[in-house]
Parts: sequence; C-alpha cells; structure tokens
Amino acid sequence: MLRIAQGRVYDPANGIDGEVRDVCLDGGKVVEELPAHAPRIDASGMVVMPGGVDIHSHIAGPAVNAARKLAPEEHRADTIDRTALMRSGTGGTVPSTFVTGYRYALLGYTTVVDAATPPLAARHTLAELRDTPIVDAAFLVLMGNNLPLFKLIRDGGPLTDAVAWWLEATGGYGVKLVNPGGVEMWKHGNGNVTSLDDEVEGLGVTPRRVLEAIAGSADELGLPHPVHVHCNNLGVAGNWRTTLDTLDTLQGRRAHLAHLQFHAYGGTPGKRPRSRAPELAEHLAAHPEHSADIGQVMFGPATTMTADAPVSAVLRDVTGGKWVNADLEAETGCGIVPFEYRERNYVHALQWGIGLELFLLSRDPWRVVLSTDHPNGGSFLSYPRLIRLLMDREFRNEQIGQVNQKAIGRTVLRDDLEREYTLGEIAIITRAGPARLLGLADKGHLGVGADADVTVYREHEDAEQMFATPRYVIKGGRVIVEEGELREAPAGNLLRVGADHDEAIERTLRPLFDEHYSVQLANYPVREPWLLEPARRIPARRNGSRR
Amino acid sequence: MAAGALEGATGTCPLGDAWLAERTAEPLPLARLDGREVDFADAVEAAAAILGEARLPLVCGLGETDCESQRAAVALAEALGAVIDPSDGPTPASQAVGVSTATFGDLRDRAELVVVWRADPVASNPRLLPRLRLDRAGRAVDRTLVVVDAQRSATAEEADEFIELSRELDFETLWALRALIRDVPLDRDLAARLPLDALEQLAGRLRGTRYGAVLHAPAAGYANGLALLALVRDLARIAHVVALPLRREAGARGAEDVLAWQTGYPAAVSFACGHPRARPGEFSAAGLLERGEPDAALIVGFDALRQLPPPAADNLRRIPMVVVDPRATETASAARVAFATAAAGVQREGTAHRMDGVPLTLRAPLASERVGDGEVLAAIHARVAGEKGS
Repeated sequence: MLRIAQGRVYDPANGIDGEVRDVCLDGGKVVEELPAHAPRIDASGMVVMPGGVDIHSHIAGPAVNAARKLAPEEHRADTIDRTALMRSGTGGTVPSTFVTGYRYALLGYTTVVDAATPPLAARHTLAELRDTPIVDAAFLVLMGNNLPLFKLIRDGGPLTDAVAWWLEATGGYGVKLVNPGGVEMWKHGNGNVTSLDDEVEGLGVTPRRVLEAIAGSADELGLPHPVHVHCNNLGVAGNWRTTLDTLDTLQGRRAHLAHLQFHAYGGTPGKRPRSRAPELAEHLAAHPEHSADIGQVMFGPATTMTADAPVSAVLRDVTGGKWVNADLEAETGCGIVPFEYRERNYVHALQWGIGLELFLLSRDPWRVVLSTDHPNGGSFLSYPRLIRLLMDREFRNEQIGQVNQKAIGRTVLRDDLEREYTLGEIAIITRAGPARLLGLADKGHLGVGADADVTVYREHEDAEQMFATPRYVIKGGRVIVEEGELREAPAGNLLRVGADHDEAIERTLRPLFDEHYSVQLANYPVREPWLLEPARRIPARRNGSRR
Repeated sequence: MAAGALEGATGTCPLGDAWLAERTAEPLPLARLDGREVDFADAVEAAAAILGEARLPLVCGLGETDCESQRAAVALAEALGAVIDPSDGPTPASQAVGVSTATFGDLRDRAELVVVWRADPVASNPRLLPRLRLDRAGRAVDRTLVVVDAQRSATAEEADEFIELSRELDFETLWALRALIRDVPLDRDLAARLPLDALEQLAGRLRGTRYGAVLHAPAAGYANGLALLALVRDLARIAHVVALPLRREAGARGAEDVLAWQTGYPAAVSFACGHPRARPGEFSAAGLLERGEPDAALIVGFDALRQLPPPAADNLRRIPMVVVDPRATETASAARVAFATAAAGVQREGTAHRMDGVPLTLRAPLASERVGDGEVLAAIHARVAGEKGS
C-alpha cells in the first residue's frame, strides 16, 4: 500500500492535467482509496506522472550485443560498480543489460519496447531481457524480409495465421517491418530497393505488397499494437516521398512509423537533403489511423544499429570506422556503425532540426512519441534534454543558434516556433500516448486498475534537470528509485501478445523452413519457461474471417 | 534410447560420438574433495572457501556449457571479484574493425564462393561442409570452394582449388590481397615471396562474386585477425562478403555473448575493481596463468591442464582448482574440488548459441538426478554471498 499524497498529477489518459490529488497504490495496481494509515509519500510541490513508456528502443538481442562488443572504449569510460542491490556493468550508448534496466528506471521509465528482434534470435533477446531488471519489456518481431512470408504473400497463402504463429513462437509483442524487401536485396550483391514498386529479385513481391499484406494481417489479428514500420529509403535525400507513399499505401489501416525524422528528407538522392517535416506533420494530422515516434538526433555519441543493413554500409563509408554486418538467414540483416552527431555538420544539424520540427508542428500529441531510436539518434539518457528543447523556447532558440545555420535555413525553425510543450503534453508523448498506441491498457495512466508504475518529479524551472532525476520511481507499487538512487531492483515482466492461429499453419510452414532455415521448424518456437517467465499476455482481438 | 539409457545416436560425426561418450560414461561421484567422494554441500563449502579466500581467482572454460550456466558463472565471477576469460574466445581484432558475418542458412543458400582460410573443418567440424552443401558430393556446380593452408588438408581434398601458403606469410598474404583488391601496387620483394598468380586469381574471384564467404579458424595472433577482417571489410565494398570464425567448443559463442551482455565485453574481464574491465592480453586466462597471478581457479567444462599452453598449465597445477565438468578429465582429477555434473544437451535442458550466433534449445534426452553446471555455480555463489553477508 502506498499513497502518493498531494502531488500535481498529470494523467492525460484520464483527463487530469496538473490537479493536486492523491494517487493510491495497492497490490501492484492503482486503487480508488486507501485507509488513512497507509504509508505515504508526501508529493506536495512535486509532479506525478505514470511511469514512462518507450515505444521504440534497442536494448536487447544479437544486434545490441554485437554493438556492445564494438564499444570497449565507451565502456571503459562509464563503469558501474556492484553493490548489494545492483550487478555491475558498463554504460555508454550501448549499456550492459543490467545497467540498461537500472538507467531506464532511474530515468522514470518503467516500460520499454525493443523495436527489432529477428525471430530466429528470439531466445537471445529473451535471455537479455531477463537480465534487464525492473522495466517491463516487449519486443517487436522483424517480418519485412522473411522469405517464407514472402512466399505466402506471393502465393496468397495463409499469411495471417503465419504472422500469429511467428508472434506465438517467439514471445513477441508486435510486427516490425524494416525496409521491406530492401534488406533481402542487400544479400543479393549489396542491392536495395528504392521505391515501393521495386521487385524483390526472384521473389515475386514488392515492398508495397509486403506492406499491404502484413499490415492487413496485423489488422485482421487485431494486434494491440499495429504494424510498426521502418520505411524504405531511410536517410536518403528525397525519401519523404517514399514515406508519404508508404502512408498512402497504409491509408485506412492503423500503422506506426518508426523514427519519422530519418524519413522526412527532401532534395535529390545523393545531394544535400532539406526538411520535409511540415508535409509529413500535415499528413499525420489528417490521418488519425497513423502515428509515429520521432527518432530525434541528439548531438554527441550514438551507435547506429539497424536491421536495415544497406543503410549501415552507407554509414560505414561516412565514418570509415568500425562496422558490423550480420546476415540472418531467411529473415533479415543487421548493420552497426558507431557514430557521432556534430552540431557543425550540415546533415546532423538538419536531422536535429527536422526532429524538432516534427515535434513542434504535429498537432495531435497522442500520435507523436518521444524517441531517439536509442541508441541510433543518441542514448535514452538524452531524453531530459530533449524534453527541455520542447518545453523551453528560449533554450531551444539558443541551441538553434549554435548549430549549422545552413541546415537550420532548410527548416522552419528560424521562424521562432512559439510552441512550448506543456507538462501535460510531455506526459502524453512519453507515457500516455505510447501506452495507448501499444495497446497496453494498464500502462501510461493512473486510473483505477492501472499498473502501479509512477514517476514523481520535483518541479524545477529547468526541465532537463527535473526529468533527469526523478524524486521517486515506483514500479508495480514498489519504490524503486529515491533521489536518484536505486532502492530495489526486481525483475520486470515480459509483455507478449496472445494471438491465436490455426495449428494447421505448421503444415504450410514446414517445407518453407526446410528450404530456407538451418533450424528445423520443430526446434524453432521458444518453449523454455526460464526465457518466457514471468510474462503478461496482452490478447489480440481478432476480427474478420479467417483466411 | 532404451530404458532411459542411450543405445546410439544418429546424425552425429565421430567427434560428436566422442563428445557424447564422454558425457554418458560411467558416472563419477557428484562431488569430490582431493579425489575423495564427499557430500555435495561439503564440496560447495570447500569450493566457496577456496574461491572466496583467493586474492585473484580465475574463472575459465565455459565453452562447453549452456547459456544459463554461463550466466551463473559471470555472476559468480563478479561476486568473487575474479577474472573471467572463456577458453575459446572471439578474435580480438573484431573489436577494432567489426565483422561482416552470416548465419549457416545464408552461407548454405547464398554463398557462391567460399574460402576456407587456414581451417580444416573436415577434421574440426566434420558436419559443417555437408550442412552448408559445400562438400564435393553436395556442392552445386556454380559454387566454388577454395582452401588456403600450409599443407593439403582433408578440407583441401574437397576444394576446387588449394592455395599452399606458409603460416609465416599469413599477414603479408592478407595484406597483399587487400592491395590486389584495391588495385594498390605491391611491394616487389614481398610479391616475390607470395604465390602471386593464385592470389591474383583469388582476388578476382572475390571481387566478382555476388556472395562470398570466408570460413576461418580463430586467428592466430592479433595482426593476422586484423588483416583478415580488414580484407573482408574491403571486399564488402565491392561484393557481398561475409566471414565466420569456426569455434572448437560448442558453447563458445554463448560464453562470448553472455559475457558481453552482462559486462559489455566479450572476453578477458576482470571484476577485481568491483566493475568489469577488459584487457584481452593482460586478463587472458593463459596470460595470467603464465605469469602466475591467479591463486585459485574455477574451471567450467574445460580440460585446462591439457588444453592450455604448458607454462600456463604448469602454474595452474600449483593453485587450488575447483572444476565443474560432466566429464572425467585430467583437470578434474587434479582438482581440489570437483563436481561431476549433468551435461547440458545430454541430461540437462538449456540454451546454447551456435558458432553463427543462432540460439538453439538443448534438449535432455537422458534423465539424470544430478545438478547441472549452473546449479553448482549458483550453490557456490550462494555460499560465497552468505559468507560475505551480502
């Protein structure tokens, strides 16, 4: 039992915008009332929000781990000692698992979605999540370059059951498409696709068909989170047209676009990009079925890490530094390049500016989510600074003045955009909105029955300071963080979807597995209880007839 | 299977049969202290005392166990303030350059040109070439297998082409290939020492392939590893080329992966300062032992006395060893405390990472009442933690 008394509560999902009131917690849930003698936290003069929800981050699995191996210099410079409570570890842009859990919790985040797991590597992701304490975690399953799925799409096979089977087999939460078709083409002599209608060589599908078919299946299954799309042509000047084309293709269907900033560039391929953020913000405003996280770039060190392997090859040639490529049979690829965003660099400053434009021009905060695509645009540890950029116009303008001015000239930021995010809007883009977009009914709000995940901040003029060090973080009703110190480090839950499928799908899949995998179908689904527990299943609500 | 015992195995190679035989032999006592059978709890207590009192305990091996036991080993190493260094670690140069790599399925289905660089998988991984359909009998006509080695090996017999190259010229050859691929003129004296015609032809093949792969043994020496990975990286700008290091131990990749996700480093980690620090040369098990630094060792699934370089093994004999291994090994016989465990993948379920990183389920076809490696490590950990009062 715990009463968080007299804090200024921001619970936008329940229409509460800075009202001073109590929040009562019992049995891991928010409850209506508690006896007067219940333990209490005096939150007067403090801001109370639901625990943060990260809709798009890279925290576990083979790509993250390959990036860790590449970063001994970063790790040497950022070490965490073992204590009675904590495992030791290393930080930097790609922290060790334990440190990832601790630092998300210390930041007031209690739910994190890993955005890209190759299904064949689900066991690896699950094992890392088990070593990532405190936060509840889910992962999205890469399906945009999957050869068996391509065949089902081409031949009009039972795709929806296959999608559900893959989610069930892996313990995943949702469907992720990354550069559909393009990553497969990368394995054909370093190719790619450049438009939604490019043929994927020899496979009889196009990116557009993959998008339509898999988004359709996700819809049909009634997944709590819609298809999560990393569009084709990431990072390419002029890619905003591909992004719009993708959104048009998905019109009328729910879809979430990942790291929209990286897909909002005007100009001509190979030349200097410019901003097309206003056009994309406009489209989002007009299409309530679509949402996006921003993928804000923050100046300083980052690690680019993506299933979009051809993009990594471009970055390798930009940095000339370390590079990992990892082809994963029948499913996907992976590329990693350590990176640094510099204020004076035209492209980096433009990317930074475009992210801010998207935040500031978007009209519906419920469909715009704060992310840096950790660690691609920067570490999740930079969220407080990003929040300040959104909340504090004077600070923002000062920062705008310090970066490459040619780039800023290609954005609308010179116009001194007036908008300052309110605390209520910050609560939306960092918890209430992403929870709703994920279909996590118990997360992101403080109504009766919600998970007792709460973050309490001491009010501060400087939003960066305020959000960097919560006064309290409560997870499942337990006080985890106090004054920037961990008090407890319990395990988090795996959040997985429950989606039914016709068992007969395995008869269809078996020959496709025999053809394309080095692992037999019977050995593919994760069954190890130690990898799958503790978990909470969020049911899909299948609609329409089975195909 | 018959009456809970193994009658025979199918689909295995001779190495696999031997591997299985070692793990299904007449069971040793579960716990031994100085060679005498003792209660499990007494052995745990003795192991905890040895390791807990050591100034610099070393944890090594780990390449023949499952990921769950590897997790337990890292946790214990941390609690002890030990150095932990898996016995079949990664190529250190991969941290400097990165890698381009692939899983077995892509190597099997896409690789048109495969170069086996100073490895002999027919001897070391007998099922590998057939699985990748690279053996002479299974190879499609449009796929090419080239072997580069100091002498004609069993793998060379399967190849379309064999390039003989003395081991001393490894670095020079790889560097020359980089030059040939990038059209950089070669130093004439160097070129005279190399089989230039064969290398030029190989460079041409690599440049022209749509999907090339290099299978290599874990590189001997940092510079050679660096040169190989740099060559693959250069090639990747021209063609789709990947590399895969072949591992001796079935769980080597898992040991590397678990250590990396828990500490940020894939090998040679010291917890002596309370947080992980990695120094691949300095904190390597062999290096530490050669210098006589550790004063106790915890060895998991590794016949260290036979497999470490002799100077390291000699020093290992002088310090108390705790051995956790399902097999009867020379090292286990010489240990102060030895636990004979249920083997992962034989009597214990688990997860292992294949050498290409693909995580696999280990089933337990045989029943056993014994504990696995992980449970022994956890029991020692609990005892150590209890004594430290934390």
